Amino acid sequence: MTGGDHVRAELGAYVLGALDPAEADAVREHLARCSACAREHASIAQLPELLSLAEPFESAPPLTPALEERVLDAVALERARGEPRRVRRLFRPRIAIPVAALAAVVAVALVVALGAGNSGRHYQVAFRPVAGSTAGGGAQLKSTADGTQLRLWAKGLPHDTNAVYEVLCEARGWTASAGTFRPDAQGRAVVVLTTAARRGEYDSIRVVRRTRASSQDVMTASLN
Amino acid sequence: MPSSDAQLIQRVRADESGEAMRALYRAYSGELYGFTLNALGDRGIAEEVVQEVFTRAWRHAGTYDPGRGSVRTWLYQIARHAIIDARRRASVRPSLARHEPDEVDATAGPTIEQAMLGWQVASALERLSPEHRQVIRLAHFQGLSMREIAEHCGLPVGTVKSRTWYALRSLRLVLEEMGIR
Repeated sequence: MTGGDHVRAELGAYVLGALDPAEADAVREHLARCSACAREHASIAQLPELLSLAEPFESAPPLTPALEERVLDAVALERARGEPRRVRRLFRPRIAIPVAALAAVVAVALVVALGAGNSGRHYQVAFRPVAGSTAGGGAQLKSTADGTQLRLWAKGLPHDTNAVYEVLCEARGWTASAGTFRPDAQGRAVVVLTTAARRGEYDSIRVVRRTRASSQDVMTASLN
Repeated sequence: MPSSDAQLIQRVRADESGEAMRALYRAYSGELYGFTLNALGDRGIAEEVVQEVFTRAWRHAGTYDPGRGSVRTWLYQIARHAIIDARRRASVRPSLARHEPDEVDATAGPTIEQAMLGWQVASALERLSPEHRQVIRLAHFQGLSMREIAEHCGLPVGTVKSRTWYALRSLRLVLEEMGIR
């Protein structure tokens, strides 16, 4: 260990404390007499301390996707209860419909709009996470001449560059793939996929996480 | 982004569609959750606190003054207060009481500045290549030695050492770009 280049390659491992004790001693001795390597060491020496500050964020599991809607609901409820603006008061009796009732009206409207029999070209589904998964999302589906186009959005997907997610349209004993996608670093994805499966040929959609070693369901949606 | 964040806060109160609130939530919920989970140690309660932070932010959006600090600082201050309130409530909740037996004051845990810095470092890590990120995570956060990482990744030890060096150099450059030296 006489050349500066040699010890430089060890410096990353050295500052992270990942060298064997004998190797670490050798690096320490070299740094005491090589100013070039000492400068390189100084440039990264403070990084472990900064990395330790990042640890709570690195180890935090993803937030429950449903929390976003809970927050928006809570704010909407509070807004409806007591927005202190004059113009708001005029409308308060109408706005103050309980959120649950409002949601029911919206849901009925959606069912009417989207579920108008099998002839409707557009419909949508909401995914629910499979046990042990934190994934959530939905898909807008459009019937085309050759099958179905899916505009799918998802969050809470474990990000791993070795993993791809496959979307499967299924009925009992029958499966058609709608293709694969990768989420971003935050575990989110918005993708447009197509499948040859036509509306009526499948009754559920499953999203599967695949690596070379494993295959695991992360969320499913039912068309019924 | 700070000025657009300040505009977002102005919109949050007036925007009845909820889209401004949604944008605020998506920008900051992850880091505020990391912050509160670290302080409270309970996922469910940390999520309740995150919800409380955004509700309070909506309620007090009119008091936000960009001249006194960034939106991020303001949200962390709200979170800090919400955490203290949660700890006070925890005196009747055994699971939390076990986690923080004696502390009810604001001095426990990292400071707001340390927490915000930690989040920025975590964001910098996300900007590294997957290979660089992996080697830092395995060595620093999981405490593996170079030999163990080499075994884990099926690579020669020399390759892992050199990758660790380049990974830390890349991290330093990204942090410098973010204004952290």
